Amino acid sequence: MRGPPARHPDDNARELLPAPEGIISDADQLVPGDRVVYPNQGVCEVVGVEEKDIAGQKLQLVRMRREEDGAAVLVPRNKLTSIGLRRVAAGAQMEGVFHYLAAQFDDPELDWKVRHRDNADRLIAGGVLGVAEVVKGLHSLSRLRPLPAKEREQYDNARHLLVHEVAVSLNVPPGLAEDYIDFALMPPAGAKFDLKPPPKPVLLPSRPKKKRPTTEDEGDLGLGDLGLGDLGIDLEGAIEGGEGAAAAEGGETAEAGAEPAEGGAKEGEGAEAEAAPVRPRAEARAKPEPRAEKRPAKKPAAKPARKEKAPARTAPAKKEKPARAEKKPARKGKKR
Amino acid sequence: MIRIVTLDRVDPTDLAFLTRTLYQAFGLGTEHSGERPIPAGAERKDGRLDAIGLLREVAPLRTFADDKVLYIVGAPLALPAGPLGEPPCWGFAEYNKDRATITTHNLPPRGVTETSIENHRRRLAREAIHAIGHLWDLHHCYDARCAMHPSWSTSLAPNPEMDLCAFCREKSERKIRLAKT
Repeated sequence: MRGPPARHPDDNARELLPAPEGIISDADQLVPGDRVVYPNQGVCEVVGVEEKDIAGQKLQLVRMRREEDGAAVLVPRNKLTSIGLRRVAAGAQMEGVFHYLAAQFDDPELDWKVRHRDNADRLIAGGVLGVAEVVKGLHSLSRLRPLPAKEREQYDNARHLLVHEVAVSLNVPPGLAEDYIDFALMPPAGAKFDLKPPPKPVLLPSRPKKKRPTTEDEGDLGLGDLGLGDLGIDLEGAIEGGEGAAAAEGGETAEAGAEPAEGGAKEGEGAEAEAAPVRPRAEARAKPEPRAEKRPAKKPAAKPARKEKAPARTAPAKKEKPARAEKKPARKGKKR
Repeated sequence: MIRIVTLDRVDPTDLAFLTRTLYQAFGLGTEHSGERPIPAGAERKDGRLDAIGLLREVAPLRTFADDKVLYIVGAPLALPAGPLGEPPCWGFAEYNKDRATITTHNLPPRGVTETSIENHRRRLAREAIHAIGHLWDLHHCYDARCAMHPSWSTSLAPNPEMDLCAFCREKSERKIRLAKT
């Protein structure tokens, strides 16, 4: 099985992503005594709704009690839907988690920045399966190399959250829940499971990307001021060639998508579009000749300079050393 | 304080080694607090002891806040089956609470040679550290050299180390420092 997928490719798909199962979309759904999972905090029990006067404003707060240590959690009623509060995973959902944990996993994300960021998002927005993905992913990575301190901490936190949710869901002590999890993660010798296909991995919403310069901006980058024209490189031709290549690719895709009836005309247009940019491409391919000429031209220019310098460095008494000076450029030539 | 209670006979020299090792591992006073009978309600039909039932029904011991009690039995222990079957049981701990139990049934036989006795003692100490670690809020560790690594793991060495890894040691020290007493 491959690792969890990358983020959702569509930037505007945040709202389109399926919410984790059991997420609470309305504060009215909560009743005192309900057990809910507060992302990154753990299982809480709803105590009730109370009104408090804070900074001159009357706020309705939902009071919860964290089951692990009895800590009080107060959430404004109107923010309840945005924090990702969800119900404790049900039996079928939890079974899927165990099948996911027991499945083979051989593709951990190796870029630690991406991994750490994605794991943090999974813990918040991924539901119980997201937490299981973090545990599974970091555990499989730990088999390749020891985890850095920050991720070790994250692994421990994720494991803590998962153990408590499994314990509440299956109504077993946390110690037993952890044995169940590790029985799936690290099966003993000879253990074979009748595994079902694991549930679909959690899709994460995409993060805002950094603004990249457009082609118009690239045109104003001042490439002409760099003096590259003196080297004999035709910048305009190269850029046109690049655009032409893109256009040609676009033409190909358009052709592929076109219906057969309209294919004749479109193909003709496409052919025209392809023909125009091909010229500079062909020119660009033909142009390497001056480069090939220039390279050897550079080398002799550089080498004699050193050869000239070498006798200057050496004392006049050691005139027999030119043989050494000849060897040096030969070595450098080999390296290149 | 860590209190060791035996439900089956354990060699006194092994107990002395165990108390010394637990003291070194957690920096807490450790003593043998006597023997107790095995509760009848914990026995299952297959001859094994229900680990959870044993901790629930064993005769109480006078303890103070933050005392941890470790029960050692000789009979095999069993846990209820989970979604993927019954996990192997070397012991069981009430996570972040005060009671844990381990069995000597799965340990390497004590034998009569110095090496076998040493191996038996070291493995007993490892399992005891593992169970007490759970009582101090430690989870299982992926490091096979750490005492908190699952006892049934295939990556565990035949004679595994009986020390905690740096992360688990620091975490347990932090928890012990923050304890009420």
